[in-house]
Amino acid sequence: MRVLAVLIMILAILIGVVPQFFNCQYDGKTLVLANGREVPMKCYWTARAALIIAVPLLAVGFMMAFTRRVQTVRVLGVLGAILGVMAILLPTLLIGVCQHTGASCSLVMKPALILAGILVIVVSLASVAVSGRRVEQAP
Amino acid sequence: MTLFQLAWKNVVGSAFRSWVVYLCVLLVTGLLFSFALLIGGTRDSLRLVQQRLGADVVVVPEGTETEIESALLMGHPVTAWMPRENEIKIARVPGVRTVSPQLYLASLANAPCCTAEMLVMAFDPRTDFTIAPWLGQHLGHSLSAGEAVGGSDVFVPYGEEHLRIYGSEIDLVGSLERTGTGLDTALFLTFETAYEVAENSRTEAIRPLEIPPESISAALVRVEPGIDPRVAALQIMNEVPGVTAIPASGLFQGFRRQIGGLLQGMLALLGIASALSLAIVGLIFSMAVNERRREIGVVRALGATQGEVLRALFAEALILALGGGATGILLAATVLYLFRDLIVVSLAMPFLFPPLPSLIALVGGGLVAGCAGVGLAVLFPVVRASCLDPAVAMREQ
Repeated sequence: MRVLAVLIMILAILIGVVPQFFNCQYDGKTLVLANGREVPMKCYWTARAALIIAVPLLAVGFMMAFTRRVQTVRVLGVLGAILGVMAILLPTLLIGVCQHTGASCSLVMKPALILAGILVIVVSLASVAVSGRRVEQAP
Repeated sequence: MTLFQLAWKNVVGSAFRSWVVYLCVLLVTGLLFSFALLIGGTRDSLRLVQQRLGADVVVVPEGTETEIESALLMGHPVTAWMPRENEIKIARVPGVRTVSPQLYLASLANAPCCTAEMLVMAFDPRTDFTIAPWLGQHLGHSLSAGEAVGGSDVFVPYGEEHLRIYGSEIDLVGSLERTGTGLDTALFLTFETAYEVAENSRTEAIRPLEIPPESISAALVRVEPGIDPRVAALQIMNEVPGVTAIPASGLFQGFRRQIGGLLQGMLALLGIASALSLAIVGLIFSMAVNERRREIGVVRALGATQGEVLRALFAEALILALGGGATGILLAATVLYLFRDLIVVSLAMPFLFPPLPSLIALVGGGLVAGCAGVGLAVLFPVVRASCLDPAVAMREQ
């Protein structure tokens, strides 16, 4: 179980860190409005929102590493899977990234968040399955 | 208890050994699958570019072959000019059926007068055979002035209705299928539109678009049926000075050599990784079988035949090979699919994710290769174990 918890923590760190370095704002690109004001592109907000997913996911991994109660592991696993789904939805449906396929947010941030989200779902569901097996094996 | 159940109990019973074998198979099949997918994707992409150009011979100004090939493959802007009269000279070469001139232009990067930096390819609608078939099929009409079609990655920015090229508004009336090359970010418009854009750019753009008078960037040639394009290319170079004629089969040769070197390096790494992983699998199985000599002896003494022991041990290897192989392939396919644009940009190679039928064939091939590899790796220890004399095996400490 600890291995799965550590995996979740690593993925949470990736979800939080990677978008901060692969967005258009970080690359020095902004959206220039008609009045000349410069505003961040939407990938910047996706990167900020990724932090909101990464922090609770890190907490889920941390708690999963130290809890022994099967019910708690199950709840944490389900919570982790939901956060994984959110990590996928952020760059695809909820906020999105820039349309330009050559932008770093399209090239790296979006696929990285989707991949990390998929892996978080798989690892979280695996933790639920493993905790279920422990219950079966218990006398 | 069935054979599968026995094998499954053994797999679950020795978790560490099973995990190591599983991860080794995952690594081997994942690498094999990625390599096959990259080679197939690059080949498909190059084939699609050649199909899209539709030319038997591409004629470019002498010395600009690499730049133009790079423009077609990676979408890098290029400036190459040759006199337009070359079009007539090429058309007079025996064996040449059609000649279609093209202009290669580049829009400006980070300029308010341009939507984005992209390769702009202008064609003559009277002779064109590159875009015309697609326009006929999908739009039912040719492009009018101020209209353009784009590669799959060309889009009108959110909140706007037109593309802006050198200050001119261009209607994007269609998008071509993805090729995994620079053509996906290219814009195709007619000569008329290109000259209009150049004219407007003098007053509308931060820098005017210069198209030298009576010049073209390249000429695409179709030869008469039965004529070898390589022979036609040689004849064009003999009769038209200052040009290089590249037959379709010779297009992107420099790139193919470059990518060939890269793939050879990858193949060497893949070979080393596969050999090491399969050696580890063989070693682990050998150790596992040695540890279980008494157990195998008991099973044999209870009436199991040599074949049944052999099948049980192979079933164990097969379960791990299928599990590791499927995970490795799934992981490799997901990573390559998600990061396909990054592969194109960072490795500077065209890459097109294969269509579903080819993907299924590759997955099947990957699984078979994984199982065959593991089968070979465990063959010796498994056969040796099945041949054990039960009496001797049970007496061992």
